[in-house]
Amino acid sequence: MNLNIDAIKSQTFDAIVIGSGISGGWAAKELTEKGLKVAVMERGREIKHIEGYETAMKNPWEFDHRGRPTNMAAEEYWAGMRTGYTPNEEHRYLFENDKQNPYIEKKGGFDWIRAYHTGGKSLLWGRQTYRWNREDFLANEKEGIGTPWPIGYDDLAPWYSYVEKFAGISGQAEGLDVLPDSDFLPAMQMTAPEVHFKNAVDKKLGRPVTVGRVAHLTKPGKQHTDLGRSSCNFRNKCMRGCPYGAYFSSLSATLPAAQRTGRLTMVHNAIVAEIIYDEKSQKAKGVRVIDQNTLESKEYFAKIIFVNAGAIGSTSILMNSKSSRYPTGLGNDSDQLGRNIMDHHLGVGASATVEGFEKDYMFGSRPNGLYIPRFRNWGKDKRSYTRGFGYQGGASREGWGRGVGQDGFGAQFKESLTHPGQWTVGFGGFGEILPDPNNRFTLSDQKDKWGLPVLSFEANFGENELKMRQDMMNDAAEMLEAAGFKNINAYNGQNTHIGLGIHEMGTARMGTSVKNSIVNKHNQVHEVKNVFMTDGAAMASASCVNPSLTYMAMTARAADFAVNELKKGNLK
Amino acid sequence: MLVGGVFSAPTLFAMEAKNAGIVAEAGTFVLTDGQRKIVAAVAEHIIPKTTTAGAIEAGVPAFIEMMLNDCYKKPEHVSFKKGLDNLAKAKFLDQSHDAQVAMLTLLEADTKELMRSYSASKVKVGDNVDKDILEGAGGVPFWRVMKELTLLGYYTSEKGIEGSFEYHPVPGKFEVISNMKPDQKSFAY
Repeated sequence: MNLNIDAIKSQTFDAIVIGSGISGGWAAKELTEKGLKVAVMERGREIKHIEGYETAMKNPWEFDHRGRPTNMAAEEYWAGMRTGYTPNEEHRYLFENDKQNPYIEKKGGFDWIRAYHTGGKSLLWGRQTYRWNREDFLANEKEGIGTPWPIGYDDLAPWYSYVEKFAGISGQAEGLDVLPDSDFLPAMQMTAPEVHFKNAVDKKLGRPVTVGRVAHLTKPGKQHTDLGRSSCNFRNKCMRGCPYGAYFSSLSATLPAAQRTGRLTMVHNAIVAEIIYDEKSQKAKGVRVIDQNTLESKEYFAKIIFVNAGAIGSTSILMNSKSSRYPTGLGNDSDQLGRNIMDHHLGVGASATVEGFEKDYMFGSRPNGLYIPRFRNWGKDKRSYTRGFGYQGGASREGWGRGVGQDGFGAQFKESLTHPGQWTVGFGGFGEILPDPNNRFTLSDQKDKWGLPVLSFEANFGENELKMRQDMMNDAAEMLEAAGFKNINAYNGQNTHIGLGIHEMGTARMGTSVKNSIVNKHNQVHEVKNVFMTDGAAMASASCVNPSLTYMAMTARAADFAVNELKKGNLK
Repeated sequence: MLVGGVFSAPTLFAMEAKNAGIVAEAGTFVLTDGQRKIVAAVAEHIIPKTTTAGAIEAGVPAFIEMMLNDCYKKPEHVSFKKGLDNLAKAKFLDQSHDAQVAMLTLLEADTKELMRSYSASKVKVGDNVDKDILEGAGGVPFWRVMKELTLLGYYTSEKGIEGSFEYHPVPGKFEVISNMKPDQKSFAY
C-alpha cells in the first residue's frame, strides 16, 4: 500500500476523465472551464496537434505503396481491412494493430476499429454531424423496443446549439423536422449534377436532399481562431490529421480549450483497468491504471469520474470494476452492461454514371458529400420494418483510375487520362440498428498483454435490419433513376458485420430505472452517482444519423449537471 | 470519394476469401533480369515517353515488382509470372514496335474474356469512403495487374503527377466550375 501522502496528493484531482476522444475532450473542456482540476487518462501514446501528424503534408509519391496496405499490414490490421480504408498507408499510424490488440468474435463477427492515442477517433471520424430528431427519442417507448429514453429532444437542443457553435458545423438550414438544423457555418457547394439530382428527387419523389453537414470550419469565428484553428483548405486528407485544425477534433479544439484554463493534466499511456468502488460511500473513489509500456500499476483519485473510453472501452472498464456490491461490473444491477450493441449498418446503396455536364468540374477536394435524410417510416410512410435510414453520397468526375478498366494503352491513352472523365454518382445508406440484448460482448478468460480480459463479441443483424436493407438498395436506385442517371448498379453487401460503421453504441444504456439501464437521464450511473458515461455506451437507440454530435451535447449537459451536483454537495 | 475505376485489391480479396476458410499465402516475389526487361517494355507501351515522362523514367518497373512482393499474394505471383513466360516464349522483346503493340492488343482482348468471371462492385463503407472490390477465382490475370500497377505507379509518381495534372496540394477552396475549357487537365491534390 502506498502511504506516501505527497504522491496521493499529486494523484488526486477534482475529476478524472477516462479517454481523450470526441466525448472525453468535451468532458475535459467543460469540467476545467467550470473550475475543476481534471486529469485525462489516455491509454495510448501522446500525439501533438500539427507536429504529430506525420503524414499530413506528404505528396502521393512519398507513400511507398501509394497508400495500399502491404500483406504484412493486412495481416496485422485484420479487422481494419474489413473497412477497406483504415489500414491505408496514409493514416494507418493512427489506427490500432489488431493482432496486438486481439478480440474474440463468436457467430456473426464484429468489426472493432480502435485508435489509441491523444484525441482517439476524433482525429479519424467522418465529421458528418447531425442532430437527432424528436421522434428518435420517442420511438423506443412508442414501439416497445429496448428501453424508453428518459430524455427528449428539448433536453438536448440547447446543448446541441452550444457544442455546434464551439465545434463549427458547416451546413445548409432546411427547416426539416426529420433533420433539425444546427447552428451553421456556411454550407459547402454542390456540383452541377448534384444540384440536378437534388431538384429531380425533390420534384419526382418529394424527398429533400441537402449538402452534408460537417464539422469543418468554412468561416471561422473568434472562438475558433483563438484556439489556432483556421479554414478548411479542401485537401480532403483529413484522416492524416489536419495541420490547419480545420475540422473539429479533441486535439484541435477541446483539449487546447481545457489546457488554457491551467487546470488540465494529461496522463498518457494510462490504461484504466478498473474504477475503484468505495462500499461505504457507495461512490467511486478513483481509478487503477496500468502504464501501457512499463506495466506499472498506479491509482488516481477524484470526486467525479467521466468514462469516455468509447462505447466498448468504457463498458469494459465498468465490467472489469468488480466489487462485492457489483460482482458483474460497476452499476450492473440491470444485467444490461455489454448488451444492446448498436452501430449503423451500411454497405448498401447504388451507383450510376451521369451523361453530359461535360463543362462542369470543380476545384478543390470537398471533404463532404450530399445527405438524404430519412424518408421511410416518416410521416405517412409505413413499411414492414421499423425505423429508417439516411444516405450519404455525391457526384464526381472520374480520374486516371478509370483507365484500369478501359481498353487501350499508349500515347493517346496516356494523354486521355490526364483530363477529367465522365461524372459518376453514388449513394450509400446508413441504417438504424435496433437494440437487441443478445447482441453483446463479455469478458473472456483470455488475457491481453496488460493482464486485462480479452473481449468476446457476439452480434448479428436482426430481421428488421435485413428487411430495411432491401429498401436501402432499391430506394437508392430509384432516386438515381429519377435523376435520369445511367448504368445503375444497386448493391446490398452481405459480408458486413455490426461495427463496420465504427459507431459503436448502447452497451451501458441510458434508461428510466436501475432495473432497465446503467445510467440515468443525467448520464450518471444509477446508484454510483459520481460516475458519468457520456459516449456511445449511453445510447438507448441509434437513430440513423451519425452519432458524434449527440455525444458532444450529452457530455456538455452531463458536465454541467455534475458540477452543479458537486457544488450542492450531492456527490460527497 | 477515392479515385475512380475499379482496382483489383488482392489483399482485400484475400480477406474475403478468409471468411471462406481459404487464406492465400504471401510468399516472396522476385523477377529475373530477363523478366524485368519485359515488365519495363510492357509498362512503357502502356505509358510511353511523349512530351512528358514515360513509365520507365517515372520508375514504374521497379515499383511493379516491389508492389507484387509487398502487396500481392501467391495467386497473382503465379499469374503474373505466367504472363511473363508467355511473352518470353513469344519472343516479345525481339519483335518490332508494331508487332509488340499487336501482341499486347491481343493480350488485352484475351484478358477481357478472362475477367468476365470477376465481379466488380463499388461499395460505400463509411462517411465519404468507397471501397472497390474485385472478386474472382484464381490470380488476377497478368495484363490486368500490369496495367493497373503501371497506371498507379505512374499517375501517383512525382513525374507522372507533375507532367499530367494541375497539382494543387493545398487548394485552399472548393469551387464549382461551369465553363471548363476543353483541354482542362485534371486537378490533383
